[in-house]
Amino acid sequence: MSWLGAVPTLPGGHGAAHVDALLLAALDDVPAGFVCTHTDRLGPVAVTTLSAHVTGEVDVDRLSAALGGPVAVDVDPDSPASRAARAGRERTDGRCIRFPGQSALTGTHPAAEVVAGSAIDRVVGIGVPVAPTDLVETLGFLRPVCQDGELVLLVEPAVGGVLRPVEAESPHECCGGGH
Amino acid sequence: MSHHHPHDHSHEHHHEEVEGSWRDSGDDRPLSVARRRFLAGLGAAGVATTLGATAAHAHDDRPATPVNPWRGRGRWYAGDHHIHTKYSSDGQYEVAQQVAKAREHGLDWVVITDHGGVAHEKFSVDLVAPDIEQARKSHRDVLVYQGLEWNIPGAEHATVFLPPGRSTVDILRAFEAAYDGGVLSTPVDRGGKGVLTRSTSADGEPYALAALRYLESQVLSGRTEIALMFANHPARRGVDSPHEFRGWRDAAPGVAVGMEGAPGHQAAGIKTADGGRGGARGYYDGSPNQDSFPGFAPTATENPYRTYGGFDWMTAKVGGLWDSLLAEGRPWWVTATSDAHQVHQDTHKPGVGNHNETGTRGAPVDTGAPQVYGDYWPGYYSSTLVGANSKSYVDLMRGMQGGKVVAVHGRLVDGLDLRVRSLGEGDNRGVTIGGRTFVRRGDDVEVVIEVDLARAANFAGVVPRLAKVDLIAGPVTGPAVDRDAFSAPATKVVKSFEVNRTARGTVKFTHTFRGVEGAFYLRLRGSDGNRSTSDGNPVMDVIGDADPWADLWFYANPVFVDVV
Repeated sequence: MSWLGAVPTLPGGHGAAHVDALLLAALDDVPAGFVCTHTDRLGPVAVTTLSAHVTGEVDVDRLSAALGGPVAVDVDPDSPASRAARAGRERTDGRCIRFPGQSALTGTHPAAEVVAGSAIDRVVGIGVPVAPTDLVETLGFLRPVCQDGELVLLVEPAVGGVLRPVEAESPHECCGGGH
Repeated sequence: MSHHHPHDHSHEHHHEEVEGSWRDSGDDRPLSVARRRFLAGLGAAGVATTLGATAAHAHDDRPATPVNPWRGRGRWYAGDHHIHTKYSSDGQYEVAQQVAKAREHGLDWVVITDHGGVAHEKFSVDLVAPDIEQARKSHRDVLVYQGLEWNIPGAEHATVFLPPGRSTVDILRAFEAAYDGGVLSTPVDRGGKGVLTRSTSADGEPYALAALRYLESQVLSGRTEIALMFANHPARRGVDSPHEFRGWRDAAPGVAVGMEGAPGHQAAGIKTADGGRGGARGYYDGSPNQDSFPGFAPTATENPYRTYGGFDWMTAKVGGLWDSLLAEGRPWWVTATSDAHQVHQDTHKPGVGNHNETGTRGAPVDTGAPQVYGDYWPGYYSSTLVGANSKSYVDLMRGMQGGKVVAVHGRLVDGLDLRVRSLGEGDNRGVTIGGRTFVRRGDDVEVVIEVDLARAANFAGVVPRLAKVDLIAGPVTGPAVDRDAFSAPATKVVKSFEVNRTARGTVKFTHTFRGVEGAFYLRLRGSDGNRSTSDGNPVMDVIGDADPWADLWFYANPVFVDVV
């Protein structure tokens, strides 16, 4: 049971969902049930980092090779990888790409069910209150965010009187997303 | 100086509509400009001061001078500074098609802005120039500017454009090669410079400032009379940080003058059930990425990544980012454009050319069947109205530089006459939109608003009804200590004028600010009243359910009032 952090090498010109898939593939043989991406802005250029809660043995060298960057397991305060691990552990920030209960939430579910059946602590509407019976259309893609120690799913009004997560799997990309 | 020209240097040049084309070898305007400045006793530094005065800086000790003095009803010229063609990898139309459509929809001026990048810099910038020249000849009543949709290093896209002149294409090509974020971030083995991590990463920010200084230097040296930059779809990906706006403006106050108040792609939110694309209005469906400013985060109260009544959150939010710039006394103007790439219900598809290898997608293919796309033709829905002394290339740009600009959707208004003046000591004649006036401390300031209501139907076939006009005002508090500030909490709607249902022609409203004790600014917006929050603000557009014709707004640029 520990938290690890990493600074993966990411391909340019791809959307977030594509990058998530690559990260999760690299973690394929790692027993990690809670995985977040973070943005480390302490350097001259922001980098995307990763944190994961692991429940068994991890071959750090192999994972590092798979991610293409350093992996930290102990919390050393001065590296981007360990900052990520800490942010994930304390849930201060981060965008959650894997969490307990995620695989069961692929359809349209009442907000109460989203909270009861997963690690998501709250469903928060943007500009609208969310009642337990309000329907959340997940579209098979949930990326709740860590805020002040909680895992929060932000939703907004959508077509047909339902709510949908603010992060979409395939947002519009201009000029092929290159720039 | 071998290019002698015998005329009297003191006269003002007259600009005809298609004068000064890029291949007009007889055009000696830049040289003459330099001479005029020399004769007027102004070196480069002097010119910079002149530009600064035009752009109206706050908080200095100069005597008050009105900027944009009110002259009675002026003429508005409708246009669009953001239009793509087959020379963009995601565009498809001929320049001629876009200009013909713009003219058909009532526009007086357009800017052709294909995306910057390796292939564009290598091929397209030269390919588009003769097409633009031809379009000017075919449509002598439309001003067609050559521009670029610049990938601002470290940030979003921006329109950059120049008036026609001998050096226009050279300046644009050099600018793109040296400063386009796409060119700078593309690896060397793929034809780029490979010096930036990403087009939007923060290591690009110094390049953006150098780029704008380069353009300003082209003006100061007389190679072009004017050059302008407007930041496009500024909040779409959250990558334009507040300090970047301030930096751009400070680096080149005569060039970096504003942003899209409303992005294009206004048809993208039409419901699938209504034959639309079912996307987000403006294609604003993003969320934060690693290069987004961390302060722009979706919360329980707002989502900066969505449009509000079709306008960008930075403009639509009262007391938001735009107001935070205005509250510094910093001129910064908003516009509305089409960003036309592929027009909803048009029958064309892109051509089969390889843009990467040739810089063009080739002639579009007419399928004969209406396509489901997200954009409108230039002028069909979005208009940037510019007040100018004459319909000439440079005068129109001076109007934009000076903020005589109103951003309008769906022909909600046909024009606007704003007069802001001192009723006591001070500037009794007053100034208009984009201007700066002054009043003696404790005196009254009168605001007179005359709105020209739509005289005829818009392109949805409806005469839109203006339901209200909001007068928004806030104190000018000077330069922000925090360059990343993006709120102006004291800016409020001070008065909301209802428009009588039976009103036709022109409606007039007045308001008096009594006993003015400190510098302030004011601005106007209006709506059809269809979609508002309880406090009269625009509503966040719903992805897949945003009929743009049922939610019309206009935004006028501010007037600053100094107290002396």
